[in-house]
Amino acid sequence: MIELRLYLEGDDRDADRLRELLAHEGFRVVESSGSDAPQPTVVGIREVLARRVEDLERTILELRNLDVAKSQFLTNVSHELRTPLTAIVTYGEILRDGLLGELAPRQREAIESMINSCRQLLSMIEEILTYARTNARAIELQPTEFELEDVVGHVYDMNASLIQQKHLRYEAKVNSGLPMVWADRDKVVHVLGNLIGNAIDFTPPDGILRVEARRWQQNPAWLEVVVEDSGIGIDPKHHEMIFQEFAQVDASRARMHHGTGLGLAIARKFVQLHGGRIWVESELGAGSRFYFTLPSVEAGRKLGAA
Amino acid sequence: MSGEGANLPLILLVEDNEAIRNAFAILLRESGYRVIEVASGSAAIETSATDRPDLILLDLGLPDVGGLEVARALRSREETRETPIVALTGRALETDAEACYAAGCTGYLTKPIDTEQLLRVLPTYLNPQE
Repeated sequence: MIELRLYLEGDDRDADRLRELLAHEGFRVVESSGSDAPQPTVVGIREVLARRVEDLERTILELRNLDVAKSQFLTNVSHELRTPLTAIVTYGEILRDGLLGELAPRQREAIESMINSCRQLLSMIEEILTYARTNARAIELQPTEFELEDVVGHVYDMNASLIQQKHLRYEAKVNSGLPMVWADRDKVVHVLGNLIGNAIDFTPPDGILRVEARRWQQNPAWLEVVVEDSGIGIDPKHHEMIFQEFAQVDASRARMHHGTGLGLAIARKFVQLHGGRIWVESELGAGSRFYFTLPSVEAGRKLGAA
Repeated sequence: MSGEGANLPLILLVEDNEAIRNAFAILLRESGYRVIEVASGSAAIETSATDRPDLILLDLGLPDVGGLEVARALRSREETRETPIVALTGRALETDAEACYAAGCTGYLTKPIDTEQLLRVLPTYLNPQE
Protein backbone atom coordinates (compact mmCIF):
# COMPACT_ATOMS: atom_id res chain seq x y z
CA MET A 1 0.00 0.00 0.00
CA ILE A 2 1.21 3.43 -0.88
CA GLU A 3 1.64 5.74 2.00
CA LEU A 4 1.01 9.34 1.21
CA ARG A 5 2.70 11.65 3.62
CA LEU A 6 1.36 15.13 3.79
CA TYR A 7 2.65 17.81 6.00
CA LEU A 8 -0.07 20.25 6.66
CA GLU A 9 0.66 23.51 8.21
CA GLY A 10 -1.58 25.34 10.60
CA ASP A 11 -5.17 24.52 11.26
CA ASP A 12 -7.02 26.71 8.84
CA ARG A 13 -10.19 25.59 7.17
CA ASP A 14 -8.56 24.50 3.92
CA ALA A 15 -6.24 22.15 5.76
CA ASP A 16 -9.14 20.65 7.71
CA ARG A 17 -11.09 20.19 4.54
CA LEU A 18 -8.14 18.44 2.92
CA ARG A 19 -7.69 16.14 5.93
CA GLU A 20 -11.31 15.17 5.72
CA LEU A 21 -11.16 14.62 2.00
CA LEU A 22 -8.07 12.42 2.19
CA ALA A 23 -9.47 10.39 5.04
CA HIS A 24 -12.65 9.89 3.08
CA GLU A 25 -10.64 8.64 0.10
CA GLY A 26 -8.93 6.08 2.30
CA PHE A 27 -5.55 7.71 2.80
CA ARG A 28 -3.78 7.50 6.08
CA VAL A 29 -3.01 11.01 7.07
CA VAL A 30 0.12 11.36 9.13
CA GLU A 31 -0.21 14.46 11.14
CA SER A 32 2.93 16.21 12.07
CA SER A 33 3.35 19.67 13.24
CA GLY A 34 5.56 21.78 15.41
CA SER A 35 8.93 20.45 16.52
CA ASP A 36 8.54 16.77 15.50
CA ALA A 37 7.95 17.61 11.82
CA PRO A 38 10.99 17.25 9.53
CA GLN A 39 12.09 20.78 9.03
CA PRO A 40 12.37 21.12 5.25
CA THR A 41 9.10 19.40 4.45
CA VAL A 42 6.83 21.54 6.51
CA VAL A 43 5.36 23.51 3.68
CA GLY A 44 1.97 25.05 3.31
CA ILE A 45 -0.18 23.26 0.73
CA ARG A 46 -0.86 26.52 -1.03
CA GLU A 47 2.83 27.21 -1.45
CA VAL A 48 3.39 23.75 -2.91
CA LEU A 49 0.58 24.24 -5.35
CA ALA A 50 1.73 27.71 -6.29
CA ARG A 51 5.20 26.39 -7.02
CA ARG A 52 3.81 23.53 -9.11
CA VAL A 53 1.65 25.93 -11.06
CA GLU A 54 4.65 28.18 -11.63
CA ASP A 55 6.71 25.22 -12.86
CA LEU A 56 3.95 24.15 -15.21
CA GLU A 57 3.46 27.64 -16.54
CA ARG A 58 7.17 27.89 -17.24
CA THR A 59 7.13 24.53 -19.01
CA ILE A 60 4.14 25.55 -21.11
CA LEU A 61 5.88 28.74 -22.13
CA GLU A 62 9.05 26.85 -23.06
CA LEU A 63 7.03 24.37 -25.12
CA ARG A 64 5.19 27.18 -26.88
CA ASN A 65 8.45 28.87 -27.75
CA LEU A 66 9.84 25.58 -29.03
CA ASP A 67 6.73 25.08 -31.13
CA VAL A 68 7.11 28.52 -32.67
CA ALA A 69 10.80 27.83 -33.35
CA LYS A 70 9.90 24.51 -34.97
CA SER A 71 7.28 26.16 -37.15
CA GLN A 72 9.79 28.81 -38.15
CA PHE A 73 12.25 26.09 -39.06
CA LEU A 74 9.57 24.35 -41.12
CA THR A 75 8.85 27.63 -42.89
CA ASN A 76 12.51 28.16 -43.73
CA VAL A 77 13.04 24.63 -44.95
CA SER A 78 9.92 24.66 -47.12
CA HIS A 79 10.91 27.98 -48.56
CA GLU A 80 14.39 26.75 -49.42
CA LEU A 81 12.99 23.56 -50.97
CA ARG A 82 10.63 25.51 -53.14
CA THR A 83 13.16 27.66 -54.93
CA PRO A 84 15.17 24.93 -56.70
CA LEU A 85 11.98 23.03 -57.46
CA THR A 86 10.58 26.09 -59.16
CA ALA A 87 13.71 26.19 -61.31
CA ILE A 88 13.29 22.49 -62.21
CA VAL A 89 9.68 23.05 -63.29
CA THR A 90 10.65 26.02 -65.42
CA TYR A 91 13.48 24.16 -67.17
CA GLY A 92 11.10 21.26 -67.70
CA GLU A 93 8.57 23.51 -69.37
CA ILE A 94 11.26 25.07 -71.54
CA LEU A 95 12.24 21.61 -72.75
CA ARG A 96 8.64 20.46 -73.13
CA ASP A 97 7.72 23.44 -75.22
CA GLY A 98 10.57 22.73 -77.60
CA LEU A 99 12.36 26.00 -76.92
CA LEU A 100 15.68 24.15 -76.93
CA GLY A 101 14.84 21.94 -79.88
CA GLU A 102 11.95 19.72 -80.88
CA LEU A 103 11.36 16.59 -78.82
CA ALA A 104 10.13 13.18 -79.87
CA PRO A 105 6.64 12.41 -78.46
CA ARG A 106 8.05 9.92 -75.94
CA GLN A 107 10.56 12.45 -74.69
CA ARG A 108 7.83 15.02 -74.34
CA GLU A 109 5.70 12.60 -72.36
CA ALA A 110 8.57 11.83 -70.00
CA ILE A 111 9.17 15.51 -69.38
CA GLU A 112 5.47 16.08 -68.89
CA SER A 113 5.45 13.45 -66.12
CA MET A 114 8.46 15.04 -64.55
CA ILE A 115 6.75 18.42 -64.52
CA ASN A 116 3.56 16.98 -63.04
CA SER A 117 5.47 15.29 -60.24
CA CYS A 118 7.36 18.48 -59.50
CA ARG A 119 4.13 20.44 -59.36
CA GLN A 120 2.68 17.89 -56.95
CA LEU A 121 5.74 18.20 -54.76
CA LEU A 122 5.50 21.98 -54.94
CA SER A 123 1.89 22.00 -53.86
CA MET A 124 2.74 19.79 -50.89
CA ILE A 125 5.56 22.13 -49.91
CA GLU A 126 3.14 25.01 -50.32
CA GLU A 127 0.73 23.30 -47.95
CA ILE A 128 3.41 22.74 -45.31
CA LEU A 129 4.49 26.34 -45.69
CA THR A 130 0.95 27.58 -45.20
CA TYR A 131 0.53 25.37 -42.16
CA ALA A 132 3.83 26.44 -40.61
CA ARG A 133 2.98 30.06 -41.19
CA THR A 134 -0.43 29.76 -39.59
CA ASN A 135 1.32 28.27 -36.55
CA ALA A 136 4.35 30.49 -36.34
CA ARG A 137 2.36 33.61 -35.76
CA ALA A 138 -1.20 34.69 -35.36
CA ILE A 139 -2.88 35.08 -38.72
CA GLU A 140 -4.65 38.29 -39.29
CA LEU A 141 -7.69 38.15 -41.47
CA GLN A 142 -8.12 40.82 -44.08
CA PRO A 143 -11.85 40.67 -44.59
CA THR A 144 -13.60 42.37 -47.50
CA GLU A 145 -17.08 42.13 -49.01
CA PHE A 146 -17.38 39.83 -51.98
CA GLU A 147 -19.74 37.52 -53.83
CA LEU A 148 -19.27 33.82 -53.16
CA GLU A 149 -20.13 33.21 -56.78
CA ASP A 150 -16.83 34.85 -57.83
CA VAL A 151 -14.82 32.60 -55.55
CA VAL A 152 -16.67 29.49 -56.72
CA GLY A 153 -15.92 30.46 -60.32
CA HIS A 154 -12.29 31.25 -59.54
CA VAL A 155 -11.68 27.95 -57.77
CA TYR A 156 -13.35 26.08 -60.64
CA ASP A 157 -11.02 27.79 -63.11
CA MET A 158 -8.02 26.71 -61.04
CA ASN A 159 -9.20 23.09 -61.14
CA ALA A 160 -10.91 22.96 -64.52
CA SER A 161 -8.21 20.94 -66.28
CA LEU A 162 -8.16 18.27 -63.53
CA ILE A 163 -11.96 18.06 -63.53
CA GLN A 164 -11.97 17.61 -67.28
CA GLN A 165 -9.15 15.06 -67.20
CA LYS A 166 -11.20 12.85 -64.88
CA HIS A 167 -14.43 13.51 -66.82
CA LEU A 168 -16.18 14.61 -63.66
CA ARG A 169 -19.58 16.18 -64.03
CA TYR A 170 -19.28 19.54 -62.34
CA GLU A 171 -22.31 21.48 -61.12
CA ALA A 172 -22.19 24.78 -59.30
CA LYS A 173 -25.23 26.37 -57.76
CA VAL A 174 -25.10 29.75 -56.12
CA ASN A 175 -28.56 31.00 -55.22
CA SER A 176 -29.32 34.41 -56.60
CA GLY A 177 -30.03 37.09 -54.04
CA LEU A 178 -27.46 35.63 -51.70
CA PRO A 179 -25.90 38.36 -49.53
CA MET A 180 -22.22 39.15 -49.93
CA VAL A 181 -19.85 37.52 -47.47
CA TRP A 182 -17.53 39.35 -45.12
CA ALA A 183 -14.35 37.30 -45.18
CA ASP A 184 -10.71 37.11 -46.19
CA ARG A 185 -11.01 36.23 -49.85
CA ASP A 186 -7.63 34.47 -50.18
CA LYS A 187 -8.45 32.26 -47.21
CA VAL A 188 -11.87 31.35 -48.61
CA VAL A 189 -10.26 30.51 -51.97
CA HIS A 190 -7.82 28.31 -50.05
CA VAL A 191 -10.58 26.49 -48.14
CA LEU A 192 -12.79 25.91 -51.16
CA GLY A 193 -9.75 24.99 -53.27
CA ASN A 194 -8.79 22.39 -50.71
CA LEU A 195 -12.27 20.84 -50.54
CA ILE A 196 -12.62 20.74 -54.31
CA GLY A 197 -9.09 19.36 -54.68
CA ASN A 198 -9.95 16.55 -52.25
CA ALA A 199 -13.22 15.87 -54.01
CA ILE A 200 -11.37 15.51 -57.33
CA ASP A 201 -8.74 13.22 -55.79
CA PHE A 202 -11.21 10.92 -54.07
CA THR A 203 -13.78 10.66 -56.85
CA PRO A 204 -13.25 8.03 -59.55
CA PRO A 205 -13.45 9.13 -63.21
CA ASP A 206 -16.93 10.02 -64.55
CA GLY A 207 -18.13 10.90 -61.06
CA ILE A 208 -20.05 13.96 -59.91
CA LEU A 209 -18.77 17.06 -58.17
CA ARG A 210 -21.26 19.62 -56.88
CA VAL A 211 -20.69 22.95 -55.23
CA GLU A 212 -23.49 24.92 -53.69
CA ALA A 213 -23.64 28.19 -51.76
CA ARG A 214 -26.80 29.06 -49.87
CA ARG A 215 -28.08 30.62 -46.67
CA TRP A 216 -27.33 28.60 -43.58
CA GLN A 217 -30.60 27.28 -42.26
CA GLN A 218 -29.53 27.46 -38.62
CA ASN A 219 -28.68 31.14 -38.92
CA PRO A 220 -29.75 33.01 -42.05
CA ALA A 221 -27.20 35.79 -41.40
CA TRP A 222 -24.60 33.18 -42.31
CA LEU A 223 -23.88 31.43 -45.59
CA GLU A 224 -23.17 27.79 -46.08
CA VAL A 225 -21.00 26.27 -48.79
CA VAL A 226 -21.38 22.60 -49.66
CA VAL A 227 -18.90 20.57 -51.67
CA GLU A 228 -20.38 17.24 -52.60
CA ASP A 229 -18.79 14.38 -54.50
CA SER A 230 -19.73 10.87 -55.56
CA GLY A 231 -16.38 9.51 -54.45
CA ILE A 232 -15.20 6.77 -52.11
CA GLY A 233 -16.61 8.42 -48.98
CA ILE A 234 -15.32 8.48 -45.43
CA ASP A 235 -16.20 6.15 -42.59
CA PRO A 236 -18.05 8.17 -39.90
CA LYS A 237 -15.49 7.07 -37.30
CA HIS A 238 -12.89 9.12 -39.17
CA HIS A 239 -14.96 12.28 -39.54
CA GLU A 240 -13.28 14.10 -36.66
CA MET A 241 -9.80 12.77 -37.34
CA ILE A 242 -9.54 14.06 -40.90
CA PHE A 243 -9.57 17.65 -39.67
CA GLN A 244 -6.52 17.03 -37.51
CA GLU A 245 -2.96 17.76 -38.56
CA PHE A 246 -1.05 15.10 -40.47
CA ALA A 247 -4.09 12.84 -40.63
CA GLN A 248 -4.56 10.39 -43.46
CA VAL A 249 -7.32 7.88 -43.02
CA ASP A 250 -5.33 4.96 -44.36
CA ALA A 251 -2.59 4.07 -46.76
CA SER A 252 -4.86 3.45 -49.74
CA ARG A 253 -6.43 6.87 -49.41
CA ALA A 254 -2.99 8.41 -49.04
CA ARG A 255 -2.01 6.86 -52.37
CA MET A 256 -4.99 8.41 -54.11
CA HIS A 257 -4.36 11.74 -52.57
CA HIS A 258 -0.61 12.43 -52.40
CA GLY A 259 -1.36 14.90 -49.64
CA THR A 260 0.50 16.07 -46.60
CA GLY A 261 -2.50 15.53 -44.35
CA LEU A 262 -2.54 19.23 -43.59
CA GLY A 263 -5.12 20.50 -46.05
CA LEU A 264 -8.24 20.03 -43.94
CA ALA A 265 -6.47 21.14 -40.76
CA ILE A 266 -5.59 24.41 -42.49
CA ALA A 267 -9.10 24.70 -43.91
CA ARG A 268 -10.59 24.24 -40.46
CA LYS A 269 -8.25 26.84 -38.99
CA PHE A 270 -9.20 29.38 -41.65
CA VAL A 271 -12.93 28.75 -41.25
CA GLN A 272 -12.72 29.01 -37.47
CA LEU A 273 -10.83 32.29 -37.75
CA HIS A 274 -13.95 33.64 -39.45
CA GLY A 275 -16.06 32.32 -36.60
CA GLY A 276 -17.42 29.64 -38.89
CA ARG A 277 -17.77 25.87 -38.74
CA ILE A 278 -16.60 23.12 -41.05
CA TRP A 279 -17.86 19.55 -41.00
CA VAL A 280 -18.49 16.50 -43.13
CA GLU A 281 -21.33 14.11 -43.80
CA SER A 282 -20.27 10.91 -45.45
CA GLU A 283 -20.31 7.14 -45.42
CA LEU A 284 -17.92 4.69 -46.98
CA GLY A 285 -18.78 4.25 -50.63
CA ALA A 286 -21.49 6.88 -50.58
CA GLY A 287 -19.62 10.06 -51.48
CA SER A 288 -18.91 12.98 -49.20
CA ARG A 289 -20.50 16.32 -48.42
CA PHE A 290 -18.25 18.90 -46.83
CA TYR A 291 -19.88 21.99 -45.35
CA PHE A 292 -18.48 25.25 -44.10
CA THR A 293 -20.08 28.48 -42.99
CA LEU A 294 -19.08 32.09 -43.50
CA PRO A 295 -20.58 35.30 -42.15
CA SER A 296 -22.61 37.54 -44.43
CA VAL A 297 -21.63 41.20 -44.45
CA GLU A 298 -24.28 41.87 -41.82
CA ALA A 299 -23.10 39.09 -39.48
CA GLY A 300 -19.41 39.80 -40.15
CA ARG A 301 -19.69 43.44 -39.19
CA LYS A 302 -21.25 42.41 -35.89
CA LEU A 303 -18.46 39.92 -35.29
CA GLY A 304 -15.88 42.58 -36.07
CA ALA A 305 -17.50 45.03 -33.71
CA ALA A 306 -17.72 42.52 -30.87
CA MET B 1 8.78 41.22 -85.98
CA SER B 2 11.13 41.53 -88.92
CA GLY B 3 14.36 43.07 -87.66
CA GLU B 4 16.66 41.29 -85.23
CA GLY B 5 18.04 42.90 -82.10
CA ALA B 6 17.04 46.43 -81.31
CA ASN B 7 13.41 46.07 -82.35
CA LEU B 8 12.71 43.28 -79.93
CA PRO B 9 11.15 44.32 -76.62
CA LEU B 10 13.71 44.60 -73.83
CA ILE B 11 12.89 42.90 -70.54
CA LEU B 12 14.75 43.51 -67.31
CA LEU B 13 14.70 40.29 -65.33
CA VAL B 14 15.26 40.77 -61.59
CA GLU B 15 15.70 37.44 -59.79
CA ASP B 16 18.29 36.46 -57.20
CA ASN B 17 18.20 32.72 -57.73
CA GLU B 18 20.61 31.93 -60.55
CA ALA B 19 18.91 28.75 -61.76
CA ILE B 20 15.52 30.42 -61.99
CA ARG B 21 17.00 33.53 -63.59
CA ASN B 22 18.78 31.47 -66.25
CA ALA B 23 15.64 29.47 -66.95
CA PHE B 24 13.52 32.58 -67.46
CA ALA B 25 16.25 34.19 -69.55
CA ILE B 26 16.29 31.19 -71.89
CA LEU B 27 12.50 31.16 -72.04
CA LEU B 28 12.25 34.86 -72.85
CA ARG B 29 15.12 34.93 -75.37
CA GLU B 30 13.75 31.89 -77.19
CA SER B 31 10.37 33.60 -77.30
CA GLY B 32 11.53 36.74 -79.02
CA TYR B 33 12.59 39.12 -76.27
CA ARG B 34 15.84 40.76 -75.39
CA VAL B 35 16.77 40.20 -71.75
CA ILE B 36 18.97 41.94 -69.21
CA GLU B 37 19.50 39.89 -66.08
CA VAL B 38 20.20 41.31 -62.65
CA ALA B 39 20.27 39.57 -59.27
CA SER B 40 19.54 42.35 -56.81
CA GLY B 41 17.21 45.23 -56.15
CA SER B 42 19.94 47.84 -56.26
CA ALA B 43 21.17 46.55 -59.62
CA ALA B 44 17.58 46.64 -60.87
CA ILE B 45 17.22 50.30 -60.02
CA GLU B 46 20.58 51.21 -61.58
CA THR B 47 20.13 49.18 -64.74
CA SER B 48 16.60 50.32 -65.40
CA ALA B 49 17.78 53.93 -65.41
CA THR B 50 20.52 53.33 -67.99
CA ASP B 51 19.02 50.61 -70.19
CA ARG B 52 15.39 51.76 -70.22
CA PRO B 53 13.72 48.34 -70.44
CA ASP B 54 10.23 48.00 -71.94
CA LEU B 55 9.11 45.80 -69.06
CA ILE B 56 10.48 44.72 -65.68
CA LEU B 57 9.95 41.23 -64.29
CA LEU B 58 10.54 41.63 -60.58
CA ASP B 59 10.99 38.84 -58.06
CA LEU B 60 9.59 40.05 -54.75
CA GLY B 61 11.84 37.89 -52.58
CA LEU B 62 15.11 39.73 -53.20
CA PRO B 63 17.88 39.57 -50.63
CA ASP B 64 19.00 43.20 -50.48
CA VAL B 65 16.12 45.58 -51.01
CA GLY B 66 12.65 44.05 -50.72
CA GLY B 67 10.86 43.65 -54.04
CA LEU B 68 7.99 45.95 -53.11
CA GLU B 69 10.50 48.62 -52.12
CA VAL B 70 12.22 48.24 -55.49
CA ALA B 71 8.86 48.70 -57.19
CA ARG B 72 8.20 51.88 -55.23
CA ALA B 73 11.68 53.20 -56.01
CA LEU B 74 11.21 52.49 -59.73
CA ARG B 75 7.86 54.28 -59.73
CA SER B 76 9.36 57.35 -58.10
CA ARG B 77 11.92 57.76 -60.90
CA GLU B 78 11.32 59.61 -64.10
CA GLU B 79 12.81 56.86 -66.35
CA THR B 80 10.65 54.07 -64.99
CA ARG B 81 7.51 55.91 -63.95
CA GLU B 82 5.51 54.31 -66.77
CA THR B 83 7.42 51.04 -67.31
CA PRO B 84 5.21 48.00 -66.72
CA ILE B 85 6.39 46.07 -63.66
CA VAL B 86 5.23 42.47 -63.30
CA ALA B 87 5.89 41.06 -59.84
CA LEU B 88 6.80 37.42 -59.34
CA THR B 89 5.50 36.36 -55.95
CA GLY B 90 5.09 33.32 -53.77
CA ARG B 91 1.60 32.00 -53.18
CA ALA B 92 -1.29 34.31 -52.42
CA LEU B 93 -0.88 34.03 -48.67
CA GLU B 94 2.61 35.45 -48.73
CA THR B 95 2.24 38.72 -50.53
CA ASP B 96 -1.18 39.93 -51.31
CA ALA B 97 -2.11 41.39 -54.61
CA GLU B 98 -3.16 44.66 -53.08
CA ALA B 99 0.30 45.28 -51.65
CA CYS B 100 1.74 44.60 -55.12
CA TYR B 101 -0.53 47.14 -56.78
CA ALA B 102 -0.08 49.66 -53.97
CA ALA B 103 3.69 49.51 -54.53
CA GLY B 104 3.13 50.37 -58.19
CA CYS B 105 3.27 46.96 -59.86
CA THR B 106 1.29 46.63 -63.08
CA GLY B 107 0.54 42.98 -62.49
CA TYR B 108 1.77 39.92 -60.70
CA LEU B 109 2.30 36.22 -61.28
CA THR B 110 2.50 33.60 -58.56
CA LYS B 111 5.34 31.11 -58.43
CA PRO B 112 5.84 28.52 -59.73
CA ILE B 113 5.31 30.63 -62.79
CA ASP B 114 3.43 28.84 -65.52
CA THR B 115 5.64 29.57 -68.52
CA GLU B 116 2.74 29.45 -70.97
CA GLN B 117 0.83 31.93 -68.88
CA LEU B 118 3.86 34.21 -68.65
CA LEU B 119 4.31 34.26 -72.42
CA ARG B 120 0.60 34.89 -72.86
CA VAL B 121 0.42 37.88 -70.53
CA LEU B 122 3.67 39.62 -71.47
CA PRO B 123 2.29 41.13 -74.70
CA THR B 124 -0.75 42.48 -72.85
CA TYR B 125 1.52 44.40 -70.49
CA LEU B 126 3.80 45.55 -73.29
CA ASN B 127 0.95 46.78 -75.51
CA PRO B 128 -1.88 47.56 -73.11
CA GLN B 129 -4.02 49.27 -75.77
CA GLU B 130 -4.34 46.14 -77.91
